[in-house]
Amino acid sequence: MADFEWPWQYKFPPFFTIQPNLETRKKQMEAWCSLVLTYQRHTKKYSLDVTEAQSSPLFHNKAISRKLSLDGIYTILDELKKRGHIEWQDKVRKQCLVMWRTPEEWGKVIYSWVSANGMNNTVCTFYELTEGDSTTNQEFHGMEKWLLLRALKTLEAQHKAAVMDEGVKFF
Amino acid sequence: MRRGTGVGAIKNKNLAQARYKDKGSVIAEDQFSQMTKQMDVFKKNLEEFAAKHKEDIRKDPQFRLQFQEMCASIGVDPLASSKGFWAEMLGVGDFYYELGVQIVEVCLATSHRNGGLISLEELRDRVVASRGRTSQDISYDDLLRAIKKLRILGNGFTVLTVGILQLVQSVPGELTMDHTNILQCAQKSGHVSKSQLHKELKWEAERAHRALDFLVKESMAWVDDQAGGERLYWFPSLFPAAAAS
Repeated sequence: MADFEWPWQYKFPPFFTIQPNLETRKKQMEAWCSLVLTYQRHTKKYSLDVTEAQSSPLFHNKAISRKLSLDGIYTILDELKKRGHIEWQDKVRKQCLVMWRTPEEWGKVIYSWVSANGMNNTVCTFYELTEGDSTTNQEFHGMEKWLLLRALKTLEAQHKAAVMDEGVKFF
Repeated sequence: MRRGTGVGAIKNKNLAQARYKDKGSVIAEDQFSQMTKQMDVFKKNLEEFAAKHKEDIRKDPQFRLQFQEMCASIGVDPLASSKGFWAEMLGVGDFYYELGVQIVEVCLATSHRNGGLISLEELRDRVVASRGRTSQDISYDDLLRAIKKLRILGNGFTVLTVGILQLVQSVPGELTMDHTNILQCAQKSGHVSKSQLHKELKWEAERAHRALDFLVKESMAWVDDQAGGERLYWFPSLFPAAAAS
């Protein structure tokens, strides 16, 4: 994690106390949401376990001995849910899927890569897209299948792709 | 009996008045033309001086300060007359207006984290950065002058002196002595607590509570409940890492 660039707020002790003032809390939420998403993106993680997250550096800055409370973590996850960036996987809210880009945005990213490589009207397997050698430098390389499928579905809705069993045809 | 109310008398009176008026305007015209002449000489000298030192005035903040002081001592405000020859000769008017706009931009861009309170030092760093490396040097005096000009737009911009620190406040809320005293206490560490205010300022709990509440309400202070004891109040405007971001 040496190369992850923490925002200044991460070193600001009150950042780890949910602010009572609404105006300030709005700014705090904004900063937390963006930190969670950039952190997940940096670590290439597509899910988050609340119990694990409590001790992860994301919510616990040991250097200044401040950590976000469980309530605080839920406050932020609720906000991310509202914005369409996470989805709970269970009723007790212990596990969630994290999308640092929404499926629509992912669809766009994939489609622009397809167009740039002249792969319209060809068929790609899911494996080729997320694990193939030609996509190693792409952000969607290593993407989990559930998210890939969602992204492709948004393209399908726009008649830019047809999703098949283990692959997809782009138009 | 002559009462002086006949037609002839009225005519005489009118005639006399008209003569006085004529004479009066001749004198006034004289004075005016003399003053115009003096003004012309004065203006010419100033223009010569300004033209001669144009580059220095623009480039050197120290020289600019001295020039401003010289102008002030003879009752001329080069900033007040942006359309006059000052602006044309030097672009000084433009210089300060431009600076004013940049100050407003920086204050707006940073207010989301500092609640509209920024140290003059940070303001200067950010303004200089936004102007690019090639442009002229900006001194604190330049900033203070430009901020003064911004007051025309209302009382949104004020400079607070807190100990040795100068802070620029870009939100309308009125800060009292109590608030600036708190900022002064927080200057070194970036935070204060109620007991610190009690110890250093001899404040009763109620007074500290009210003043701190206000600063929290105005988004200038953030609360921190994990200091292992009482609540700490932090000020992003006094937090170095925030300034560097």
